[in-house]
Amino acid sequence: MTMEFISDDQRDALQEVANIGMGQAGASIARVLGEFVELSVPRISTVDAAGIPAALAALAGDGVASAVRQAFIGELRGEAIAIFSEHSAHDLAELLAYGDALDAPAGCELLLDIGNVLVGACLGGIAGLLRTEIGFSAPSLLADQVATSDLIQAETIAARCALLVEVRFGLEKRVFRCHLVMLMPEDALAALRRALDRFIEEF
Amino acid sequence: MTSLSHPGESCALLGSLVERIDVGIFAVDRTGTVALWNRFMAVHSGKSSSEMLGQNLFAMFPELPRPWLEKKLESVFVLGNNAFTLWELRPYLFRFPHNRPITGGLDTMRQNVTFLPLRTPGGEVSLVCGTVFDYTETALAQHSLHDAIAALNKEKDAQAQLIVKLEAAQNQLLQSEKMASIGQLAAGVAHEINNPIGFVNSNLQTLKKYCEQMLQLISTYEPTEAQITDSGLLSRISNLKQALDIEFLQEDLPALIKESEEGLVRIKKIVEDLKDFSHVNESEWQYADINAGLDSTLNVVWNEVKYKATVDKHYGELPAIECLAAQLNQVFMNLIVNAVQALDESKGMGTITLSTGHQDEWVWVEVRDNGRGMSDETRRRVFEPFFTTKPVGKGTGLGMSVSYNIVQKHHGRIELTTAPDEGSCFRVWVPVKQAQAAAP
Repeated sequence: MTMEFISDDQRDALQEVANIGMGQAGASIARVLGEFVELSVPRISTVDAAGIPAALAALAGDGVASAVRQAFIGELRGEAIAIFSEHSAHDLAELLAYGDALDAPAGCELLLDIGNVLVGACLGGIAGLLRTEIGFSAPSLLADQVATSDLIQAETIAARCALLVEVRFGLEKRVFRCHLVMLMPEDALAALRRALDRFIEEF
Repeated sequence: MTSLSHPGESCALLGSLVERIDVGIFAVDRTGTVALWNRFMAVHSGKSSSEMLGQNLFAMFPELPRPWLEKKLESVFVLGNNAFTLWELRPYLFRFPHNRPITGGLDTMRQNVTFLPLRTPGGEVSLVCGTVFDYTETALAQHSLHDAIAALNKEKDAQAQLIVKLEAAQNQLLQSEKMASIGQLAAGVAHEINNPIGFVNSNLQTLKKYCEQMLQLISTYEPTEAQITDSGLLSRISNLKQALDIEFLQEDLPALIKESEEGLVRIKKIVEDLKDFSHVNESEWQYADINAGLDSTLNVVWNEVKYKATVDKHYGELPAIECLAAQLNQVFMNLIVNAVQALDESKGMGTITLSTGHQDEWVWVEVRDNGRGMSDETRRRVFEPFFTTKPVGKGTGLGMSVSYNIVQKHHGRIELTTAPDEGSCFRVWVPVKQAQAAAP
């Protein structure tokens, strides 16, 4: 896909930053969860608003999924969405010291907790490399056990288009699978471009 | 802050702010030792900061979900990012009394808690600070909203059910209006026919007597023919006898009269059935013989049936049952007419089987045909108002729905078994007595 928003150099830099950031994030998450984390190479693309639901559905595959959204605020601004396929997140209950009996609110809280850890680690890592501060809103549930095509409704999307950074998570020996998507609206990209330019100059 | 000259002054102000702000603020280090405990926390927990500082948080609050909270704090120490708890999912972290001891509401304060990493100048996270926000009022408002929405939804469902009932009632009204006017018409016609039948019948009886007398006279005359000497007269008589075919006439005349009598009996029966069927004046519950009702209904629709099907009857012994006889007859008529219409005429005469039976306090009537049967779709919708498989203008689509309602009114039920190309069977169950109407 052609990158309309950022130059090739900036794109390469973003890929680099994302790669390093995910590596660091993986290590921190492993420290929190106490298990080895598998992370995919981040994929960067741009989508228009109408394409966002389909892009998310394509990541999550067929079937049912839940999603947690969390805003990131600061020089870099946007929303991160963690998509959990089926009940795979329940697999992590013990790692976050949830009891055995996971009722509906607790299951929901578990999703939010995992989303918070993943988003915080990954985006915090990227922001650190780009030498910018970002804060996070409290996470909230975007979709609970819905068809992957219904994770997000096209008509509710305010942005015209978005930059999408996608990472796949997994844990060794566990069914848990999660996709993390970082979405930045078009008008927040100037700051990203500036930050990437700074990064390119420094290295 | 801009007017502050000394850093010490600014620190004191900040300390005072942390102390007095209407948000719970506390901080713990990696071992869970409390390093900060502001007034909000002290007031609500009843444990002052002097009691808390230097103590282990979990030792002071054994009811805290320790492993889970430790994990949460650990993630903040490791990742350096905020962590959260939300009152919707976890009503509270600390069991604090709520602020409505008098006006009531919730048992405990609802809380949103945010855990913030506090870094030392070197960048390591040395403390995790918890901020406890009181969300009790929001929770109460949300609960009353939830309740209101639930009440609204309940009302909406009740209304929807009411609308369905209204529709059914309206349909039934429509159909029963129609049936009532047909019934009135039939009763009127029956009454009008009764009069001429009365005198035709009486005349026929007289006519029969006259004929017998005339024939008697002729048979008395006949032997005297031999004594007639006038050969002209004799041959005239014999010619006339031949021309009139008097022997056949003598034979046929009683037969004709007998047939006419039978015809009149049939007319009378039909008129009776019409009156029975319409029961114009009987809208009250009464004990009626279902077998007789079925027979009179069959007579009314006989014209529809006789060229298309033979009727097999297997009637059981039935007690008189408490019912609205005219309305049950209407059900039987609908079932019989539908059965006839379901027959496949390309296969010649069909068979309609009418059976009745009795089981415990229930009576059943079965109308079975060997016609085309029903598709799944038809079978599902057969009792739906305005559903019809007949061409536009041929059926109202109300017959079965009205039948269903009538049977419901009798606290009974209709069972349907059907298979394409094998035919359909409707079995109507009604209780013998209405007061004891309970499912068998």
